[in-house]
Amino acid sequence: MYELLWLVPALPCAGFLILALFGDRLPRRAAPFIGAGSVGFSALVSFLIAYRFFTAPPEGEHFSQVLWTWMNVEGFTCQFSLYLDALSLVMCLVVTGVGFLIHVYSAEYMIDDESYAKFFAYMNLFVAAMLMLVLGENMVLLYLGWEGVGLCSFLLIGFWYKNPANGRAAMKAFLTTRIGDTFMAIGLFLLFVQLGTLDIQEMMQRASQQWAVGSGVAVAAALLILGGAVGKSGQLPLQVWLPDAMAGPTPVSALIHAATMVTAGVYLIARTHVIFELAPSAQFLVAVVGAATLLLAGFAALAQRDIKRVLAYSTISQIGYMFLAMGVGAYAAGIFHLVTHAFFKALLFMASGAVIVALHHEQDMFKMGGLRKKLPVVFWTFLIGSMSLASLPIISSGFYSKDLILWSAFASEKGSKALWFAGFAGAFVTGIYTFRMVIMTFFGEEKTHVHVKPGWVMCLPLVILAICSTFGGLMEIPSSIYHFPLFTHFMESALPAAPIPHEGLEHAELMLQVIAVIAVLCGLSIAVVAFGVKPQIARAVVATPFGAKMRDLLFAGWGFDWLYDKILIQPFLRTARFNKDDFVDLIWNGIAALSRGVHSLLSETETGHVRWYAATLSVGALLALAIVVLL
Amino acid sequence: MTLLDLVALLPLIILTAAATGIVLLMAVCRCHRTTALFSMAGLGLAVISLPFANSMAPNRAVTPLLMLDTYSFFYMGVMFVSSFVIAALAYAYFEKQDGRREEFYVLLLTATLGAAFLSASSHFVSLFMGLETLSISLYAMVAYTRDRRDSVEAAFKYLVLAAASAAFMVFGMALVYAEAGTMEFAKIAAARGALEQGNHLVLLAGCAMMVVGIGFKLALVPFHLWTPDVYEGAPAPVTAFVATVSKGGMFALLLRYFVLIDVHQYPSLMFLFTAIAVLSMFFGNLLALLQDNIKRILAYSSIANLGYVMIAFLASGHMAVPAGALYIAAYFITTLGAMGVISVMSTKERDADSFADYRGLFWRAPWIAAVFTAMLLSLAGIPLTAGFIGKFYVLAAGEESSRWIGIAALVVSSSIGLYYYLRIVLTMCESAEDEAPVSRPSWTEATVLTGLAAALLFVGVYPGPLIHAAETLVASIL
Repeated sequence: MYELLWLVPALPCAGFLILALFGDRLPRRAAPFIGAGSVGFSALVSFLIAYRFFTAPPEGEHFSQVLWTWMNVEGFTCQFSLYLDALSLVMCLVVTGVGFLIHVYSAEYMIDDESYAKFFAYMNLFVAAMLMLVLGENMVLLYLGWEGVGLCSFLLIGFWYKNPANGRAAMKAFLTTRIGDTFMAIGLFLLFVQLGTLDIQEMMQRASQQWAVGSGVAVAAALLILGGAVGKSGQLPLQVWLPDAMAGPTPVSALIHAATMVTAGVYLIARTHVIFELAPSAQFLVAVVGAATLLLAGFAALAQRDIKRVLAYSTISQIGYMFLAMGVGAYAAGIFHLVTHAFFKALLFMASGAVIVALHHEQDMFKMGGLRKKLPVVFWTFLIGSMSLASLPIISSGFYSKDLILWSAFASEKGSKALWFAGFAGAFVTGIYTFRMVIMTFFGEEKTHVHVKPGWVMCLPLVILAICSTFGGLMEIPSSIYHFPLFTHFMESALPAAPIPHEGLEHAELMLQVIAVIAVLCGLSIAVVAFGVKPQIARAVVATPFGAKMRDLLFAGWGFDWLYDKILIQPFLRTARFNKDDFVDLIWNGIAALSRGVHSLLSETETGHVRWYAATLSVGALLALAIVVLL
Repeated sequence: MTLLDLVALLPLIILTAAATGIVLLMAVCRCHRTTALFSMAGLGLAVISLPFANSMAPNRAVTPLLMLDTYSFFYMGVMFVSSFVIAALAYAYFEKQDGRREEFYVLLLTATLGAAFLSASSHFVSLFMGLETLSISLYAMVAYTRDRRDSVEAAFKYLVLAAASAAFMVFGMALVYAEAGTMEFAKIAAARGALEQGNHLVLLAGCAMMVVGIGFKLALVPFHLWTPDVYEGAPAPVTAFVATVSKGGMFALLLRYFVLIDVHQYPSLMFLFTAIAVLSMFFGNLLALLQDNIKRILAYSSIANLGYVMIAFLASGHMAVPAGALYIAAYFITTLGAMGVISVMSTKERDADSFADYRGLFWRAPWIAAVFTAMLLSLAGIPLTAGFIGKFYVLAAGEESSRWIGIAALVVSSSIGLYYYLRIVLTMCESAEDEAPVSRPSWTEATVLTGLAAALLFVGVYPGPLIHAAETLVASIL
């Protein structure tokens, strides 16, 4: 069964190739079957492998499959090989499973698009690249997948490229993540030079043997990897591309935010956690970045008008939680939240996509409302997703994963009360903005007429994901309720358990849970009151000068775009404008002009006269003689 | 003269017999096809006899005049194959022409014989014999399309200047003889050792004057001015011959002679050769830059290419010999291919040498255009072509002997050169709505071009066998 592992990335890749090469010649109906089918079979293989992994785990709880040797030069070998352990298995399941549902949904969502086959080709490539990223045994394959994901995000965000704004958004995403990629590439070079191997497991082993805790090279490597991770995962300070990435079709947003792309950074940190363990200061920075991001993005989500931008900021915020978990050494908790987040965020995006289509491509929540009755399936699934996002206790999967992160942030040796408080405050804000979104979209009076209702192809993935969002959290139940640590236990073969001391904290856990639940419920109530029951409250707050300023600031995502424009883009453009007749070109143009000049001078010697030719022959002979005699 | 001597001479004997045979054949039947086939058979037989002679009578000095070693057999092999290709091209080319065509093959064979003689020469007498056999045949070949004004003009220019340069050469030989008292290369080298320090002046002056003759044949600066005129005026297959075989023989001789007398002992001669090499590279590439005639471009390009190969010559012996041989082989394939395309494109009235003839060739005759592009890229030294391997080895040889000036000149000038090669490629890519369609090449021409393109790529991708062959030459000459 494990031998089939290569099929997992190969199937979507084959789907991409078929659609890319023959997409125009195939009948239009075939595109979704190939596109969704390839990912579906890939998911099936993943699930079969997962079943096998549970029932009969491979030796050493990991399995590696060498497909072929890529290069072999003077003792340096680079193999095309896949590595499966608990971490990559979970990632595979998320990417293929959620990815498959998104593909199915797209089959209806994109049906009227003229580039139907092209869309599925890109989506398949996206999934294939992400699978390559999580399954690659060495850094080269990981980087291949990493770059592939970057490329596909560019192609898909700018999928409707005829609108220049979409092209700009795609460019912004690509360039911003590229900054992170550069850090990451340097980090990989550093690791390779220092440790002399590209194999990730071997690399981690050598790092733990050769580097002391807190040594400079470990910190440098960890920081560089973190640079790559914040770029791909949309964390501070490189989060600016994510809200704009909403320019792509909604299934793309779902894929980027739930199954692929943004989780790559989290995966990368989990994969290289040994390096971060060796660099406590860098790991602390991971936690701080996560905490800061989750707060900033949570507040920014409060002031958005566009439903997809709310979701985008919520993604940034939730990824912040995952970073927080990584930073306090609770890797399994972070991955757990990654899984539940994949469920509910894919659900929320696809449900919002259904709303947007129903309202004839209206994304402004201020023009929505009262859709509860008109779109019941969408409403209920969206509500379930929102509960999970806001982590309502017991009945939502988000509760279990977020709770585990908050508890780890508090109790872990690497955690602190401040980190916990940031997460706690974030949960409160999440409650407000989530239900603000629900209320503005589905309650109140109807402002825009419902145009079309989603068909079953779009509804089915919503329902499946709603079930997952409700019950997915039961994989891990905190000991305060009922001790059932299935997920963290399963991950222990790949990721170390969070360093949580067991004595003297039994009561604290339950107490903290209660406090967090109260915070979430407070947030919910505030949203209900301020946006549902008495909307004048919200209006009054915004009407005050301070409130208005605050709203504008939050609406602009704390003005990061403005800041980067002022300190980076404008100076860059000024320099470019100043040097628009590139002075370096003077050299090359000079050489060209010189060559041309010498050419015309030399051409004068080609007179065609034999007497002149004979004369040069004699002069040449004289010169040759002179050289020999005089030198 | 023993039987083994005759075996060693077999390739030359076959060529001579073939040339004589054609003369007799023409007396009986004047048939272009038969004559061409006869000459090609003679050349083919000569090629086949090379390995036989090499294994039966290895490294044999036949009389003091000729040294028939692996080195000379390698160059003969390359030159014979080239002449074979040229004979095939000439057959297709002259099929389009009126008039007597059969004599051309006699001239082709005697010219090849002269070049082969040069490559095997170990004595001034055989050197001069080979040189003159080659040159006199060439005068007539250049003028072979005698109703074309350009051809006759080119032939006369070539005659006057080649004769003048030969005079310098003979004078140089006389000076060397006066000092060394012998005309055998090996003995000159021995006598040189006996000379007192500082007493080499006459010997050096003799060498310098010989350089004039050699430089003229190889079209090196400042003895290069005839090249474009002759290339342009001569019929395309003859141009191919001037560019390849006639230079190959002379280069083989140059390398043998100066390696034997150990040119590295003489800084002044080294300086002279370096100056010639550097000037040739720059003059060749710069002169070709904005040239509008493709044949003239190839003429200038050959000046530059011979400049490149001079770096191999300047390197120390054990690298110089294989690098030079490799470069010459790669250069032959490439030049024959490029000239072959011109020959194929030519019509009865004129040779296809203007840019207009090639505008939009990619749409009119994609296969020919692809072959031409490959040849031009090889001349520019782009990887995966034979030209790259040749250039790489020349650079490696130069680097090993620290000929940094030459290497720098090669790098700079060949990047300038890229411009005019790509200009031709660009012209072939332009749209060609108003251009006439190209007549289909005959199957001979198609076979020749395909074979050359295949050889170009084979050497470029898998140079192992050729490199190995070139490296075995060192043992025989040193």
